[in-house]
Formats: sequence, structure tokens, C-alpha cells
Amino acid sequence: MEQLITDLKKYIIEELNLEDLTPEDIDAEAPLFGSGLGLDSIDALEIILILEKYYGIKLANSVEAKPIFYSVKTLAEYIDKNRTK
Amino acid sequence: MLCFIGNTSLVTALGNECDTIHAIENNQSGLYYSEKYNAVVGEIPARAFDNITSKVNFTKFESLIIQNIKNVLPTENDIDDDTLLVISTTKGNVHLLENNTAVIDNNCFLYTSAIKIADYLKFKRKPIVISNACISGVSAFVVAKNLMSSDDTIKNVVVVGCDILSEFIVEGFRSFKSLSNKPCKPYDANRDGLSLGEACGAVLLTKDINLASKPLIVLKGGAVTNDANHISGPSRTGDGLYYAMKEALNDAEVLGADVKYVNMHGTATLYNDEMESKAIQWSCLSNVPVNSFKGYIGHTLGASGVVETILCIYQMRNNIVFATKGFEKRGTPCKLDVSDANRSYTDVNICLKTASGFGGCNAAIVLVKNPVNAYNNAEKPNASIGGEDNIKVLAQYSLPNSSECFSDFIRKEYKQLNLSYMKFYKMSDLSKALFIATENIIRQCPEIVNANPRRVAIIMSNKVSSLEADIQHQQIVDKHLEEGASPAIFVYTLPNVAVGEVCIKNKIKGDNTFFIENFNTGLSEYYAKQLLRLNKADIVICGWCDKEIASEMPMDESRINANSDLEKMRGFKNDNYWNVNLKILSK
Repeated sequence: MEQLITDLKKYIIEELNLEDLTPEDIDAEAPLFGSGLGLDSIDALEIILILEKYYGIKLANSVEAKPIFYSVKTLAEYIDKNRTK
Repeated sequence: MLCFIGNTSLVTALGNECDTIHAIENNQSGLYYSEKYNAVVGEIPARAFDNITSKVNFTKFESLIIQNIKNVLPTENDIDDDTLLVISTTKGNVHLLENNTAVIDNNCFLYTSAIKIADYLKFKRKPIVISNACISGVSAFVVAKNLMSSDDTIKNVVVVGCDILSEFIVEGFRSFKSLSNKPCKPYDANRDGLSLGEACGAVLLTKDINLASKPLIVLKGGAVTNDANHISGPSRTGDGLYYAMKEALNDAEVLGADVKYVNMHGTATLYNDEMESKAIQWSCLSNVPVNSFKGYIGHTLGASGVVETILCIYQMRNNIVFATKGFEKRGTPCKLDVSDANRSYTDVNICLKTASGFGGCNAAIVLVKNPVNAYNNAEKPNASIGGEDNIKVLAQYSLPNSSECFSDFIRKEYKQLNLSYMKFYKMSDLSKALFIATENIIRQCPEIVNANPRRVAIIMSNKVSSLEADIQHQQIVDKHLEEGASPAIFVYTLPNVAVGEVCIKNKIKGDNTFFIENFNTGLSEYYAKQLLRLNKADIVICGWCDKEIASEMPMDESRINANSDLEKMRGFKNDNYWNVNLKILSK
């Protein structure tokens, strides 16, 4: 799980172009959207791409994804249960 | 001065103007599942499309424009220099990038294409090209009307809007998960996304009542606003669209209570239609019939504003409001009187047409049938708006020249500004260049901070449009990746999104228009001055934001190949220099 969280933070920084951040800067339990990292709806779609590309998980839309996308930790837990690669 | 509607012409998935209207009257849709795109789309049927044969090779985009302009020109003789051509398009010939991003086809430059068309048709004036995402068509009418009001040398304007389908566009909207699997259902409780289409429409606007079509319809007013909220998501409150409608009605000197019909954008995405219903409520138009044509012809991007305005003109002349194809049960938070069947009225004499698009832009125009004193008013010259009146330059700024690679240079510039704005890193180079330049110029200009945000406008132009982002998006599309294209890249394939970023950061909510030219002719400054003279803004940021390219071929092959790997490409930067020259003008 620790490794999964670190990887996930790395992918989020890379794919979402959060250039100024390091994985340590991201609190795994803090909300990803709104406050915190200040991600938006385009970032949510990019996270869906990360799930598909690295973990083989297909999510139809970001409405369905809302509770899963709360924090890096909730994302990691979902990936852990549903990953196909 | 009155701006009359003259001849009109269009081509959509339902055929030419006659066929399209006939099909809509009979509630027939032109949207079908296409294997090529793996999506429901509205493609122009071959029978409606003339291939122009000439010594010059014309693309489908160009041929459609030529075909429709020819249908609206007042004479077959030479076009006088009092006639201006305004072309509205979101993506022009972008399909030429397909599997071909190593050497950029010259026709990918919108202005090159526009000059070809204007020369072939023997226009004496240089054409004006507007690329303002999905509001381009409505925006083109606003620009045309403002120029006709402020320039006595312009008697006629041909407004033409065109966009054609391509994988580029379909995959872009798919990456936003905004495509419906079925023909779209505007305002319906079960709507789940839009359907894309392709179309071309042309309208002759004229000051000459003898060239006007009867019954007389006048383009009475128009406005463009920004909701300064988000580059891809519509405002949650509908305020930007509400203000566009309000300003357009003010410009037209028409009361909201007199509006008989509203043709909206109605894309059938969850949030667009929701936002529109809020704007209608704010405008007290909840009991006025509303419709959307997207269920018949799809969302035709830069063509939509022109094509749908032509359909409005037909409805006004015949006192009908067509049904909204796909609509069954209203599913918007605020009340809308969506036309669910073809309805007849005693007099559909005042119509409001709206559009909203990426970059947070909104536009509205007002059409009035048989205005009182049309014959007397037609003779009146423009209100005196003076020459080089009291317009002041409040600030000027040019992005410094640097030999550093652009990504390093612009990052340093960002750091110097001491900002904490995470969104900056996500922007395209065009947006970064414009963002940094506007941050710098605004810091020299306290007047802008104290101004009413709705009275601050931003008018830009360039040559390359959003070419860098276009190349990045096309390269991803060409790979046909299972996970699809990247919405964070696609969104920047609209040049006005760079203006949208500036509006969001600085809460600028006035006019925002993006022109494409082949070099800086000063068009953005000229238009900015007209907006000030017409009292449509108090302060205007205007200028040029373009990538300096060594030759007509902007990318050298070795660089593209070295970066063609997807991972590298997402971070793809090149060291070419961005030329940004801005001015802030005020009265």
C-alpha cells in the first residue's frame, strides 16, 4: 500500500503537471479537490486516465468517481481492490 | 445605422438550406452512428457539397466556405472594397495534421486558408478570422456589427462560419467524456452529452436596405462576455451568459419583456443546459419559448452560431418556433419553456440567439423583424464616434527576448512574479506566455484593478492560433491509445482559452475576442479602440501573442521525432521564442 501511494503521488504530479510539488508535499489523506491541491474537473478526467493507463481500471465518468477521488488514500484503496494490472 | 440581414446560405448534415429546413420542419435528425468516428455525429452528405475545381487546391473546409459565400454575395460582379469577409471557425483545416505533424501543412494556418478563399472570390479587403471556440459564430456577428457601426467605409459584411468533423475534434470531446452514445437530448431529463456535427453557414449583413431580404430583419445588438470561472466547465451560476444576454439587449435597445423567442446553445451536456436554464431565469425569460437545434444537426462548433442564426431568421419570417429534437421531459434546475413541438405564434419579431464555449466565453445577439422606421433609420449615418479621440494608452508591455529554452525562461518569469498559482504549470505555452505578459502589464496599471470587471475587455490576435497544443493532441490521437486523448491538452487547442486563463486569474468579465492574422496588422488594437468608442468597455487589454517561427514550417522534424514518445511529449516544450506585445487602452 505504501508503495502504491508513493507511485500514485508520482503519477499525479507528472500527469497533472504539478511541477512545484514532490510526493512528500502531498498529504495522502487530504482532499484532492477544492482546497488542498486545488485540482479541478480536467484533473479529475486526467486521474481517470491514470487509473486506466497504469492500473487497467475503467471509470465511466467523474460523477461515479467522486467518493473514490476524495484523497490519494481513497484512490489507492480503490486501486488495490480493482486493479487489473 | 441599421444592419440588415441579406442573403443566407447553409449546409448541414441535413443538406442545403432548403433541405435542412424541410427536415427540421418534419422533425428529422441528421445524426447517425458513424463507424469511422465510433460516435453519433452529423456529417455533411456528399450531395450537399460542391467540390470547387480551380487551379488552387481547396480543402473541404475551404470549398464549403466558398460555396456558401457565393450563394450570399449580392452580385456576380466584382466585390467592391466596401465589403468585408469575416470568417468564424474553431479548428479550420486541423484534419491536415492527421498522421502528419512532422511537417506542418501551410493550410493549417487559419489565415493562409482565409487569404486563399478571399483571393479566389476577389474580395478587395483583407478578411478577418475569429477563433473563439464554440461562440465563434455568434462572436463573428458581434464583431461584424461593431465594425459596421464604427467604420463608414464598410457597407456589407459576409459572415461565414465553418467547421468540419475530424478525429481531432471527436477524440477531444470524447476525452472530456462529453459525447452521448445516442443522438443528443437538449434540456431533457435523460440528456447525457452532446453530438458533434459539421456545417457551414454564410450571412450577408448590409447597410443597404435594397440588399436586405424581406421581411426585413435587423441585427440590432450583440455582446460577448467571460464568466471568469473555469476554462472548460460552464459557470455554475449562469452569470456570464446572463450578462451577455443583458448587454446584447441593451445594445439593441430592446427590453427583455419584448423578446419572443430564444435560440440557445443547448449542447445537451449536463452542465451547459443547467447553466443556460439559470441564465434564462436571471433574465426573466422562463416563459419565453426556447429551442436548440443540436438534436438535428449536432454541435457544429464555429459554424453553429451562424447556421443557427440562419434558422432563427427563417423562424422569425414564418412566425414559428421549431421543436427541440430529442427533448421529452425537462431536466434543468430552472424553468425553461422548451419548444417540444413546432409551434406557431402571431409574431416572432424579436429573437435572442446565444452561445457559450470553452475559455468561459458567452455571446448573444438580438435580431429584430420589421423594426419601426427601418426605412428612415437606414439612411442615417453612424453616430459620430470621432477619430483619434481621447483614447489613452495606460500601459505597454513586451515579453523580454531570451535565448533560453522557453520552458526555463517562462518558469523564471513566473517565479519572479512571486505568485502561487498551480494552474500555471498546466497551461499550454501560448497560455503561459499570455498569462505572464498580462500579469506584468496589469501590475503597471492600477486603473484595471479598480475598474468594473464587466467593463474590462481583452482582445488578442496571433498567427499560430493554438498550433503547439494542436500538434500535441493530434500526436496522441494518432496513437489510438486505449485510454484515449488527454483533456488537459485538448482544452488548450482553442486559442481563446489563453484569454480565458487571464480572465479567470484577473476576474475580467467583459468582451473577449481572439483574431487570427498572418502578422500583427494591429487588428486587435483597432478593434479595442472601436469597443471603447462604442462605449462597450472602459478598459481594454489588447495585443499580439505569437510564436516566432523561423520559416513557414514551424517545427523541425528532428525535434518532433526526438519527442514523439508520449511521455516526453506531454512535457514537450521547444525553445522557440514567444512574441507578446500588449497595451492597455482606455478612454
